[in-house]
Amino acid sequence: MTTLQATPPARRRRQLAPYAFIAPFYVLYALFMVVPIGAAVYLSMTDWVGLGTPEFVGLRNFADLARDTSFHKALGNSLIFVLVSLFIIVPAALLIAQALNTRGLRARDLFRVTFFLPMVISPIVIALVYSLVFDRQYGLLNSVLRALFGAGNTDWLGDPTMAKVSVSFVLLWRWVGYLTIFFLAALQAVPRERYEAAELDGAGVLRTFSAVTLPAIRPVTAFVVVTSFIGSAQLFDEPYLITGGGPGEETLTVAMFVYRSAFERQQFGYAAAAGLVLFVIVFGVSQILNRLFSIGRIS
Amino acid sequence: MTHRIPPPPGTMSRRGLLRLGGGVGAAALLGGALSGCGRAASAEPVTSGSVNLAFWTHDQAYVDFFETAAANAEAAGDSPFRWHLAPTRAGAADVVTKTIAQAIAGRGTPDVAGLEIGAFPRFLRGEIAAELLEPLEGHIDADVRDDLLPSRTAPFTKDGHLYALDSDAPLVVYYYREPEFARVGLPTDLATWDELAEAGRRAHERHGVAIGAVAVGSDLGQVVQIFDMLLMQSGGRLFDEDGTLTIETPEAERALAFLVRGVREGFITTVSDFYGPGMQAALKSGELIGQWMATWYKIYGLMPNVPEQSGQWRIRPLPVFSDGGSRTSFTGGTGFAALTGKRNTLAGVELVTSAYLTPAEQIRRFVDLGYLPTRRSVFDDPQLLEIEDEYCGGQRMFEVYREVVDEAPVFYLSADKPILDTVLSGHLLRAYHGDSSPAEALRNAAEDFRGQTRNHD
Repeated sequence: MTTLQATPPARRRRQLAPYAFIAPFYVLYALFMVVPIGAAVYLSMTDWVGLGTPEFVGLRNFADLARDTSFHKALGNSLIFVLVSLFIIVPAALLIAQALNTRGLRARDLFRVTFFLPMVISPIVIALVYSLVFDRQYGLLNSVLRALFGAGNTDWLGDPTMAKVSVSFVLLWRWVGYLTIFFLAALQAVPRERYEAAELDGAGVLRTFSAVTLPAIRPVTAFVVVTSFIGSAQLFDEPYLITGGGPGEETLTVAMFVYRSAFERQQFGYAAAAGLVLFVIVFGVSQILNRLFSIGRIS
Repeated sequence: MTHRIPPPPGTMSRRGLLRLGGGVGAAALLGGALSGCGRAASAEPVTSGSVNLAFWTHDQAYVDFFETAAANAEAAGDSPFRWHLAPTRAGAADVVTKTIAQAIAGRGTPDVAGLEIGAFPRFLRGEIAAELLEPLEGHIDADVRDDLLPSRTAPFTKDGHLYALDSDAPLVVYYYREPEFARVGLPTDLATWDELAEAGRRAHERHGVAIGAVAVGSDLGQVVQIFDMLLMQSGGRLFDEDGTLTIETPEAERALAFLVRGVREGFITTVSDFYGPGMQAALKSGELIGQWMATWYKIYGLMPNVPEQSGQWRIRPLPVFSDGGSRTSFTGGTGFAALTGKRNTLAGVELVTSAYLTPAEQIRRFVDLGYLPTRRSVFDDPQLLEIEDEYCGGQRMFEVYREVVDEAPVFYLSADKPILDTVLSGHLLRAYHGDSSPAEALRNAAEDFRGQTRNHD
């Protein structure tokens, strides 16, 4: 009996074939992930205005960032928007989803579309509209307040605290509907029998919510929390378009700090260093959240 | 216990594959870095004949003006070139961003670019201007060079090289709505800001009007711009010739104190955007009846926002500060530059100088675009002096411009101007709110500025 043995070149081709099939992913991954990250790491250790040869400066950019009050301010502001996102927007989305999931609710689709609508409106239009709403002197909001209460002189975009509140409000308005869709989908997938069992056990509304609803939608909650964290930590559009980071730097976020350093000040090395710090923070916290929610470890 | 099964010889482990990916990435990174540092070889320069010029600007009006200028020069037989413009329009900041990005890519840069003065400081960082822009001083006759207003060449000059020719000499004058001034009993010939402030305060108390506005919105450059006009008028400036910050001065304190007083007492109002809905509402409602602003503001601010107020507006020299200064200031401008080291560099230089340096074109520029001449001698042209402006009630505006042009202050740009815009705008707003005194605001802004520019000189 003879055994058919593949010749070495043919065997080698067979061994390499699987890698050839998965190669496109790795090539693209290398080109669009490894290279930009590597370039950012290298740039972060240089002083480069955008033209000419970058001058290697070691860790000086990171040392400067550690002393830069502007960067500290940006980190603090980003933290505030992250907290707003996680502790106001996400719970609000869950509550709205819960309300929309109520049995017998009429015009459910209309509500859903209404809440989702801000998500599909261009950020430019949103900025234009809210600059008209929040204008201290001639804005709609102050005009309504004046008409109703006789007083409405709040500088919504010029006061440091109110500017943060205004941006947070726009974030809430824009993102809550989008997140609601996820929660609503998760809530609709919770088996009805579980609620009936809880009802038979005499659980109240809060008990049912904490013992039945929350555990059942945990995977979706984890997804929403992690993506909301990443999105808000890298927040750019809303503060850039509505307040420009102002007044002063009161709504400046880290992503805006990076943009400003690179494209307004021609400090590409410094911008890369700030971007790298943001990347490390976002990556690190995302990993912690992954572990907290046991993402990918429970079925 | 698990045993790791070694891969058969000749196959690649997952770790090996990742290493390979890393290697490919590093190679690509190195290649990318090298190509980024590389410069496109410049071809033989075009010295005459027909030439297609990539022309980048933020304003279509410039395209129209330069196309006509090219046709005029060709008809007059003054130039060896026949230009055909290939215009690209982008935002003022984007023109700079894209020009630098294309330069990094090594191709696709414009031949001629209009660089708005607010975005131009980015060219002053490092050697960007020297690497990208053609120095123009060698292409301009000595008599013409001497005739150019120093105040309009200084901002576009670095290390003794003039990199762009300004489109305008945007003198700051005081716009006022004459019938409204008469209605509320405001004299139009008060000589000092103090006198106008006192009269304005009374008018505000009785009629709710304001004689000026400051910007308090998200455009940080705008917030600083309104202050900067009065700062220069009072004899100060943001930066010295060598780029040193100079805002901790009595002149700066005086200008800011006036604005703070105005905001606190109400005769100066606040608007979120000088070119947007906030300003339009202030003008249309009749609350704002005066404003210090550049000559171009009539065309870009008043006429589009309040066309119904045509015939009511007038201009006059700025009231002066009691402690000194001039009757005018500057704000704005756009410099046109030719990119260096390109086939079309000479053609680009020739187009810019033909369009911007002849008296005939400077006169046409004012007539067509409303931009003032940058050659001093053209201010005496009788044709310009006789022009009556319909929007300003038939006023001969050029008489005002000529009256104050020799008082115009020289100012300098710095690569760190964007940083100053950020830090100073915040402290200006705090001063307007009454959270800090003018002196404190300026001192804190200077301190923040020094902190942010520490290692990026």
